[in-house]
Amino acid sequence: MTLRVTLRGDVCGGLRSLAWESLPNGSVRDCVPDSQRWLEERVNGMLSVAGLTRRFGDHLALDDVSFDVVPGRMTGFVGANGAGKTTTMRIILGVLAATAGEVSWNGSPLTAAVRRDFGYMPEERGLYPKMKILDQLVFFGRLHGLDERRAAERTDKILSRLGLSERAGDVLETLSLGNQQRVQIAAALVHEPIALVLDEPFSGLDPLAVDAMVDLLRDEVTPEVPVLFSSHQLELVERLCDDLVVLARGKVVAAGPVAELAAGPSTTYRLVVDGDAGWLRDVRGITVRDVAGATALFDVAERGREQQILAEAMSRGQVLEFGPERVALSDVFREATR
Amino acid sequence: MTDETLRHPWQLVAHREISTKIRDKTFLGSTAVMLMLVVAAVIIPALLSGHSGPDKIAVLNDAGAKIVQTADQIKGGDSFEVTRASDQAAAERLVSDGDAKAALVPGDNGYVVVGDQQLDDGIQNALREAVVNLGMEQNAGKAGLSPEQLRAGTAVQERLLNPGPLPDIVADFVNIGLALVFYMTALGFGMMIAQSVVQEKESRVVEILAAAIPIRALLWGKVIGNTVLALSQIVLIAAASLIGLLATGQADILKVVAPVAGWFVVFFVLGFVALAGLWAVAGSLATRQEDLGSTTLPGQMILMIPFFFSVFAGSSAKTIASFVPIASSMAMPGRMLTEHVPLWQPLLAILILLVATAGIVRLAARVYERTLLKTGRRLGYREAIALEAT
Repeated sequence: MTLRVTLRGDVCGGLRSLAWESLPNGSVRDCVPDSQRWLEERVNGMLSVAGLTRRFGDHLALDDVSFDVVPGRMTGFVGANGAGKTTTMRIILGVLAATAGEVSWNGSPLTAAVRRDFGYMPEERGLYPKMKILDQLVFFGRLHGLDERRAAERTDKILSRLGLSERAGDVLETLSLGNQQRVQIAAALVHEPIALVLDEPFSGLDPLAVDAMVDLLRDEVTPEVPVLFSSHQLELVERLCDDLVVLARGKVVAAGPVAELAAGPSTTYRLVVDGDAGWLRDVRGITVRDVAGATALFDVAERGREQQILAEAMSRGQVLEFGPERVALSDVFREATR
Repeated sequence: MTDETLRHPWQLVAHREISTKIRDKTFLGSTAVMLMLVVAAVIIPALLSGHSGPDKIAVLNDAGAKIVQTADQIKGGDSFEVTRASDQAAAERLVSDGDAKAALVPGDNGYVVVGDQQLDDGIQNALREAVVNLGMEQNAGKAGLSPEQLRAGTAVQERLLNPGPLPDIVADFVNIGLALVFYMTALGFGMMIAQSVVQEKESRVVEILAAAIPIRALLWGKVIGNTVLALSQIVLIAAASLIGLLATGQADILKVVAPVAGWFVVFFVLGFVALAGLWAVAGSLATRQEDLGSTTLPGQMILMIPFFFSVFAGSSAKTIASFVPIASSMAMPGRMLTEHVPLWQPLLAILILLVATAGIVRLAARVYERTLLKTGRRLGYREAIALEAT
């Protein structure tokens, strides 16, 4: 007897070892290539946009936007209001058409079938207000292609993870806004998405709720899933994201790993002494940015000069603080979008 | 991934439409009220017209009883029943107490039919005819004629040049009933479709839906889900009126209505689907519930004008209406009830309706796709049709 099994989320090796254990006289004759292809199509996908352009009448909302969302990395998407973040995300999700350009998944144009496995949290939140949250999450799970049993399992799991199991039978609109927000993110995660696009997922949340949401994302999103999320909260982006894409007036003005964008080769130093730091103004080879009493901020023209300044300061009295000044992401942002 | 719903996501949408509705108390309540109204409409006229058994006629003696029995035969049987009374006063008491519909008592040169407040024409005529028949037979015997000789050459038969399938009043009643069922169902479910669409827009859930499945699948799910609900409601109404008709002994009407029922379903489904597309567009043009009043106005007109036309218009106007799409859903089944319609006519009307429905649904899908995600402000029909793809 030959059985044909189509699997989701499993690989042929796993199937063979399973057969070894449970079917002493059987063997896996063939690992169905369909499921293998299906799997390859989805796992470890790189989400890319290339040359994305969108016009609304005369207004150019997106102008040749290109970037990658790398699997296993969280990509922060920042930009001022109206920079085109939401437009980009809606084009990725197929809700809006691009005037030009392409969204691709692993190098091929993104199809509706693959996109159905994406998770999406739109900027304007919304679920069915009068539907029970259990029914609602099962519905969204099924809409994204889960079968009935799996959708119910996942809903159970995610609701208990959110501490909302007792409210499963309640109508959404009876929940507090914070809990509604949790259900919203659950709706984006219920089908174990292969990629996540979150538009301002943390807006309107208090710091505790943000932490809870971040934990949920870490637990529920498998490491190889590419995540793109937009935010205004730069310190949050800095804390959570691996990569950053900065958008200004429809154009990408900076993109790359957060660490590289933020740290850079800093030439600015900060010095705090026990007396007055005013003497720094007379030192050559540096540019003093600011002196306020015992604290000073200065740039060095060449590397090594800062060590001489430190020695000088120590000879004059106690040095309380000394070190390179890290560039805050907000400065990168401000610089890039100026 | 062999799940059927994956290839046909509209099934999920239809399923959600149906399961949400059948748990909705307002919907259940209005369905119950509608069923009660239908049952009442079927039963009450029957009760009022006294079709609940033979009428009792009080008589004093065997001669009276024989007249009542003859009258019963004239009426086709099961119409009158004899109740004996000892004297005239007792007979009158039976009538005034409501125990007998009328009393037949001897009077000067014949009989007197005694009623309470008024006398039913049917009773009076039947009794009069019976008295005349019996009396004349007796008189004929005295004159040496047999009853046959007496009646020779007096038979009057009835021949209709265009016999209608139903008596006029009943036919009109059923005609209005069918048109009303279509009108009420299409309007009620139409508003529900429009509301369901605008709810998704208002709550912004539409963005997630549109990202997960094609917008057309969303439209089809809604249209099909609500069509199934509407048809089920009609089946319920049909069952309720069937029970009502059987319970009140009006099963005769069914013989005439049954052959038209199949046609009605075809006209209903096609007309309903076309309208459902329009109602979904009415919902997608609005951004809030309050906008529905104006965006559903064309839909209400498209429904209301043909309704009054098919109910109150003259015969030739009705004939034209029975070929006009959507109007035909109300007019053609009614015409088939009240007159003899050649087979090609309903077939042609269905063909025209089919083409129109396909066209309307295509246009509706196009407009729906382009307006569903526009949440900024309410759009007009002309503006929406001119919109380009997003």
